[in-house]
Amino acid sequence: MRKLRLVFALVALCATASIGDAQWLSIPLPGTPRTPDGKPNLNAPAPKAADGKPDLSGIWKADSMRYNDNLLPPGTDAPMLPWAAEVYKHRVETMGYERPMTYCMPHGVPDAFTPPMPFKMIQTPGETIVLFEEFHKYRQIHTDGRKQPEDPDPAWYGYSVGRWEGDTFVVDTAGFKGSGDGKEGSWLDNNGHPHTDALKTTERFRRINFGRLDLEVEINDPKAYSRPWKSDTIHFLLMPDTELMEHLCENNRDLQSLQEYWGKKK
Amino acid sequence: MRTRVAIAVAGMSLALAGRALAHHSFTAEFDASKPVTLTGTVTKVEWTNPHTWFFIDVKNPDGSVTNWGFEMPGPAQLLRAGLKRDTMKVGDVVTVDARRARDGSNNANAQTVTAANSGQRLFGGAPPGQ
Repeated sequence: MRKLRLVFALVALCATASIGDAQWLSIPLPGTPRTPDGKPNLNAPAPKAADGKPDLSGIWKADSMRYNDNLLPPGTDAPMLPWAAEVYKHRVETMGYERPMTYCMPHGVPDAFTPPMPFKMIQTPGETIVLFEEFHKYRQIHTDGRKQPEDPDPAWYGYSVGRWEGDTFVVDTAGFKGSGDGKEGSWLDNNGHPHTDALKTTERFRRINFGRLDLEVEINDPKAYSRPWKSDTIHFLLMPDTELMEHLCENNRDLQSLQEYWGKKK
Repeated sequence: MRTRVAIAVAGMSLALAGRALAHHSFTAEFDASKPVTLTGTVTKVEWTNPHTWFFIDVKNPDGSVTNWGFEMPGPAQLLRAGLKRDTMKVGDVVTVDARRARDGSNNANAQTVTAANSGQRLFGGAPPGQ
């Protein structure tokens, strides 16, 4: 039996080596359920943490760019207050050239999860850490029972506290950096839905199986929207047997060209 | 007719490939309706984040030479798509299918890169690791 396992392991290794050129960095990670041919079994049940809760750890990537463009379900609009609608219209008309990423500032909550670059979730007993490959950023989600601070110092990603509701990991975040006109701080998505410092988000994560994680986000910002609204259900697919790579903003050639071109159009 | 459909489908997949940029707004900087195909000699490769850039010297019909710059995804996305930092070297002759910058400069966003001598596809034509 042990010999057979060794053969499988070798076959798997050869298989991954032969496609090594197409799939950079294929490292068979322990704890990955596998089919008899050695491939990761992405349909296996979601793993459990020591406390019996689902373990969300893994490297994930959104299955589509569309959430990054627009958080809302297709064909729906966010209930923007008039000033927010004006900001949004301007951002759409100028093709989002001013978005924070142009200046190598990160995406926000929740759209840092949705660019075509992966993130790594590391679930520990008192804290879940998210490492974003894009720009080498991270989020901390405290799960040690603490409450939201009463007067958090405003932060790009806010202050996050997580809890479990059954098999759903619920993350409440507040204390975002943002001015009253939505011009400071992150954008909610690339199209440019704005937010203010009154923003509160509730993210609901559910690991469907080993290979898939779903997220729904409620946006509550009474200074920018007439009522709370929900994002589309965002699907993430696991990237098995790999790791994050470096992505620093060392050569931002785009900035000057974008500023010059769109600056003239103003 | 079939050709037209094929062109439309190819255009669509190229547009989607272009959308895979993570950093700035693709549409704000490049114009998907301005395709350009150029062959030239690689003069410089910047294997850097957030985007890799490479430059080629292109001979014009009048004999003059123009240096063109092309943007691609960053190294992480390229590595996952099978490229390496030495896939393209200074002196290599490549053919690039690209979308021109809106600012009218000699910059463009590379959609596919092919080695001119061997015809080997070096980048694009399939979802780049997405």
